[in-house]
Amino acid sequence: MTNKKWLKTSMAIIMASAMLIAGCSNGGEKNAGNKEGGKTEGSEVSTEPVTFTYFGFGSNKDVLASDTTIGKVLQQQTGVDWKMEFVVGDASTKSGVMIAGGEYPDVISPVAELEKLIDAGALIPLNDLIEEHAPNIKRVYGDYMDKIKSEDGNIYILPYTANVNGYLTEPDVGQGAFWIQRRVLKEFGYPEVKTLDQYFELIEKYQAKYPAMDGKNTIGFITSAGVSGDFYSITNVPMHLAGYPNDGNVMVDMNTHEAKVYAASDYEKKWLTALNDINSKGLLDPETFTANKDQYLAKLTSGRVLGYFNYGWQTGDATNNLKAAGNDDLRYVGLPIVFDESIKDAYIDPPAFVNNRGIGISVSAKDPVRIIKYWDNLLTEENQKLVQWGQEGETYSKNEEGRFVMDKQQLANRNDNEFKRSYGWAYFDYEWPRYGSNSILEDGNSYSVGNQPEVAAANYTEGDLKLLEAYNVETFSKMFAQPVERPWYPAWSILKEQGSPEQIFNQKSEDLQKKYYPKLVFASKSAYESIWNEYVKEFGKLDVAGFEAFITNKVKERVAGNW
Amino acid sequence: MLMLMSLPFLAWVILFKYVPLWGWTIAFQKFKPAKGIFDQKWVGLDNFTFLFKEEAFYLVLRNTIVMSSINLVLGFLTAIVLALLLNELRSVYFKRTVQTISYLPHFISWVVAANIVQTALSPEGIVNILLLKLQLIDQPILWLGKGEYFWGILGVSEIWKNVGWNTIIYLAAILTIDPAQYEAAEMDGASRFQRIWHITLPGMRPVIVILLIMNLGFILESGFEPQYLLGNSMNVDYSENLDIFVLKYGMQMNNYGLATAAGMFKTVVSFIFLIAANHIAKRLGQSRLY
Repeated sequence: MTNKKWLKTSMAIIMASAMLIAGCSNGGEKNAGNKEGGKTEGSEVSTEPVTFTYFGFGSNKDVLASDTTIGKVLQQQTGVDWKMEFVVGDASTKSGVMIAGGEYPDVISPVAELEKLIDAGALIPLNDLIEEHAPNIKRVYGDYMDKIKSEDGNIYILPYTANVNGYLTEPDVGQGAFWIQRRVLKEFGYPEVKTLDQYFELIEKYQAKYPAMDGKNTIGFITSAGVSGDFYSITNVPMHLAGYPNDGNVMVDMNTHEAKVYAASDYEKKWLTALNDINSKGLLDPETFTANKDQYLAKLTSGRVLGYFNYGWQTGDATNNLKAAGNDDLRYVGLPIVFDESIKDAYIDPPAFVNNRGIGISVSAKDPVRIIKYWDNLLTEENQKLVQWGQEGETYSKNEEGRFVMDKQQLANRNDNEFKRSYGWAYFDYEWPRYGSNSILEDGNSYSVGNQPEVAAANYTEGDLKLLEAYNVETFSKMFAQPVERPWYPAWSILKEQGSPEQIFNQKSEDLQKKYYPKLVFASKSAYESIWNEYVKEFGKLDVAGFEAFITNKVKERVAGNW
Repeated sequence: MLMLMSLPFLAWVILFKYVPLWGWTIAFQKFKPAKGIFDQKWVGLDNFTFLFKEEAFYLVLRNTIVMSSINLVLGFLTAIVLALLLNELRSVYFKRTVQTISYLPHFISWVVAANIVQTALSPEGIVNILLLKLQLIDQPILWLGKGEYFWGILGVSEIWKNVGWNTIIYLAAILTIDPAQYEAAEMDGASRFQRIWHITLPGMRPVIVILLIMNLGFILESGFEPQYLLGNSMNVDYSENLDIFVLKYGMQMNNYGLATAAGMFKTVVSFIFLIAANHIAKRLGQSRLY
């Protein structure tokens, strides 16, 4: 008896709330005023507390959004909370399991698993949702509409790189570079280092002078080729040395827009010969191909490494720790190294739009409208300030000219991994719908903290300033050439169909490179040529021409405006 | 009545063991996860052709068989020997301690275990330091950088991780042996070693044979995690096994057809091994699976 009563009551409640929601979304404008709590614009949807699930294929620690300061604020605005989970272990295995099970979290940030999830029909098209419920999304992504639509005309994800109100270049180097320890430059009076030969020569000279540090041998040069999934840190280098930005495994000609695979090319040979050379001189870390991520980062933070190649974001943890340790001599500075002096470097990304990294709503989502509204609310200028800068007076301040600045403590917090987690920056400042990192806020301030010149300047240590002065530049990125517009950039984001010949080519060429790189680098001088020829022969068996034609075609389409 | 009682189990077997075999049809399709099984594109034997035409396939097949043979033989020997040794221990306290320590590594995940192995084997790791101190080598060895060492490293790691755990079933088998036999043997003046040889080992034999037959059925399952985690570009020719190959060309490219084809191949080979082993056991008059 009581049971039945309970059932009836709950049914009634469900019916009532269903009608309420239905009523609200139909006659939104009329009812909006009656609702309590919903202060943000266009909040005709319910603000009843609800918890959705979020899954990120980037690495992070699981968290409940409302446990972070930013998540709490956003929850107060919308009533929506998030159970945020991140991948542990192998991402592609995880996505495979997700697809096989057919059950998804409400929203997914698929990173490299996007193709697979779209292929499996895991994400819903957002076109109509955006059209009906999301003025802010339209504002932010409006200029990019043709680029975020996939070939079938649907929008499956909202990318992270849509720049708003202009383009601000970064003061620090976050991209690829040949990094060198500052004490090396200091020792030799801050010389100009342009070419690969000069770079290795300098390291060699330094190591001859100071072979050990704290009783352990210094390491001349290293890359993170041993880290599983990071093998591109060594295979991408010839492209940069030849003066091209990171287009993946091809170099695209500026004029003809022809894409060329540079694996097994003369560029690659030059690079590998150089590595072979420094290995025979004992400058290359023997663990180049075997150290895992922990071991690798431990080496960098130990200060024993004199030089390394990496993309800035690959070693963020290590460089932050080094900075926190406070010894400027043991920190690194990125240099735009090229094969010879006639080449103009292109390490810094040209203004680009990456359309295959973003966030989407899954087919399992219970309430896509609510989610799109949450995103739309997230994209208000106010909230975008929140996810980057935090709250005024607490995590940043305004000076008389209205510029955003941070004092020492605030800045330390902004760079501290623990604080970033508890405040929510670690969760909300990247893998959500957002302005691109190079955006400018309406009041003229930089969107991202690191790009604000005042903050960058305040961020510099004495050692930084000395170094900048020695090279006569204002910011570290000024040591690099200004990027040139490349309308297709980056070519690596070109979508390749699952299981297509292009994907198989990628896999097979990577397999070959993995096999032959260590052989070549550690080869004796006499054996080098024959191993190289064997590698070229093996590589020739792959359908290089077919792959190049595919990429060239897509590049040309992009140049013509069809993304 | 008995027939009736077995019905639910029959249903269970059909539902969970035979119905999924239907999924093998995926091996003959270009499978798209979101579509129903009848909307798939049929490609005939394409997936098998890709597999058997691929040079790398035979390499990974070799690696798989070698590594799982190593695991099988070493795993058996060490577990049986450890069980015998533990059984001979008088002090219960010491026995318990040894057992606990030896099966603890079984409970750490391979991710952690592989990290321990990697750290121990790095040029500045404990293994090299030890060998240098003992003056057995004069240069640190890059253990994980030499492909030829990989199988050995894997074998030792597997034993370290699983020997204690594998021992449990043998210890249980030993417990079933009638103590009267030991007493009788002791009366007749059998030495400790003779007792092991003539009573304990024959007493364990049924369990050993059954486990051997069953494990032969897994001859193409050399494990996935240790190879994946310890493998790198320098030992890839020795470390890459069938499962990693399937992961790369099947799962990562959403090519489930290929993955299923490889799975089918594995099942067929395992089946042959299982039947052959069982047949041999039958011939030798040993206990067997069926």
